[in-house]
Amino acid sequence: MPEYDYRGQRIIISDNDSEYKGYFEAAKEHRLVVKKCLDCGLLRGEPGPGCPWCTSLSWEWQTVSGKGTIHSYQIIAHSVLPGFRDWVPYAIVLVELDEQSGKPTPDDGLRITANLLDQNMTPEKEEEVAIGKRVEVAFLDMEDGLTLPQFRLSGEAPRGKVWRYPTQG
Amino acid sequence: MLAKLQDKYCIVGVGETEYSRGSGRSTRAMAAEAIRNAMGDAGLRAQDVDGMMSYHGGDSVPSTAVMYDLGIRPNFYMDCSGGGSSTEALVGLAMGAIEAGMCETVAIYRSMNGYSQIRIGGTGTRSAAPVASADLMRRTYGLASAVQTFAFTFTRHMMEYGVTSEHLASIKVAHSNHASNNPKALMKQRVTVDDVLNSRWIVRPCAHLLDCCLETDNATCIIVTSTERARDLKQSPAYIMAVQGRGTKPGGDFHYQHGPISRVAGYYVGPRIFDLAGVSHDDIDVTGCYDAFTYTNLLQYEEYGFCEKGEGKDYVSSGIINLGGRRPGNTSGGHLCEAYTHGMNMVIENVRQLRGKVDDYCPHWSDGEHTYDYSEGHCRQVKDAKISMNMGWGTPAVGSALILRR
Repeated sequence: MPEYDYRGQRIIISDNDSEYKGYFEAAKEHRLVVKKCLDCGLLRGEPGPGCPWCTSLSWEWQTVSGKGTIHSYQIIAHSVLPGFRDWVPYAIVLVELDEQSGKPTPDDGLRITANLLDQNMTPEKEEEVAIGKRVEVAFLDMEDGLTLPQFRLSGEAPRGKVWRYPTQG
Repeated sequence: MLAKLQDKYCIVGVGETEYSRGSGRSTRAMAAEAIRNAMGDAGLRAQDVDGMMSYHGGDSVPSTAVMYDLGIRPNFYMDCSGGGSSTEALVGLAMGAIEAGMCETVAIYRSMNGYSQIRIGGTGTRSAAPVASADLMRRTYGLASAVQTFAFTFTRHMMEYGVTSEHLASIKVAHSNHASNNPKALMKQRVTVDDVLNSRWIVRPCAHLLDCCLETDNATCIIVTSTERARDLKQSPAYIMAVQGRGTKPGGDFHYQHGPISRVAGYYVGPRIFDLAGVSHDDIDVTGCYDAFTYTNLLQYEEYGFCEKGEGKDYVSSGIINLGGRRPGNTSGGHLCEAYTHGMNMVIENVRQLRGKVDDYCPHWSDGEHTYDYSEGHCRQVKDAKISMNMGWGTPAVGSALILRR
């Protein structure tokens, strides 16, 4: 059973973790994956065992482009996790991937949680974090073999309104 | 089917321990005291209570321990895992257990050393646990506490509807004013909008420190029985007009995969409870809304229809929710100022409001005599409160509601 130490936390990716093991295995190969339903063909952003649209339990991992748009964000000014304190303030973003945006209903999308990092793989400057900005996946490789899919600003033209609350610590 | 149970069941007793930050005792000892206080409030003896229910997050004490401490022998008990919004739902389940003939009188309790033992804010024990399964997508990215879990919803709502920190602060201000008239409240000091804005940030842009509730050591208890059984008990009953929950958004824990993420569970729970209760928003005299954070209240007032979607910011800063306003909210001070109890204290407060006997600083409150002077250190009784509503919050995706009448 693979175990890692990351920012003071023991990370356990169990052999029978049929939800998340494949996500982190693909990350080691620098691929971002989501689950695809083998019956109705729809993708799902949360890699659960069943299809929320047709209840099928048949699925496969599908590699996606890793490009998307910031759907919401938060800046952690106070970390309850001691291992993250040197990162404060850091952004956590909810990214809506380009694939399957607005399907199968207009409010749906494949949404992935990760940190917004800069080119040095450290937290992006707070004033750069905004809803609507375009991002691309970046892989944070740790020495002990753990790889985390993360996001960076891609510099592409934003999708829709760019918004951030005008405040800073 | 539930509609025909309207007014057939009621809350006859409520009780709690001291609200503290350092109880110096076990959740078992606190649960025993809270249940005993509620029994005393109702005028029930241990042999009259034959049902027990509780909810916990691995931080409480089971009914099978506390029953020994009080000499209660249940015909029915159930301890379930559950967070906020369990209070209202368990009231409904207690009605179901009684209706099914499983028991007659149920004590619902919650006990937690939420400050001195298992910190509800996620520091200490909880942040030291290994990260596995669904947590891999959260804590691995430094997302751990309740407010962090809710913040994507809050931030997106700010963008869509123009909510500001000042709007949120007005909720804290109202609750602090209420708490200043509550001898039990942990934080009795009145605060201003500036006090909230000047407190340190927890999560930008949606939560300063004073937008967050108070980690508290406490136990609380609510006793449910039939209206028939209530007739020879001590208090005038708080009749259960309708209860709903825990109702959810599509997707549950993964609700953010569906949209809009600025929508919360009250969108689904609200129409059902008003339909069941047969009352409208105008009939509600006082509300108790799960204020884990100021934002949870703003969202729920909107979603339950006390204002239009997007107008929550005006609702909370208009004075409506203040004592003396059209529909006061969280009159005990709620989670933000009285104590964090996982939802119980807001139901307890509404029961006391409906009795006309909130325990404020009026000299004869216990006789139901109030001054209705809402200045600091005086009254918090809502004049002629007939119908109350509770809106429980678990996550953006999970909620419950309860409508009581006197």
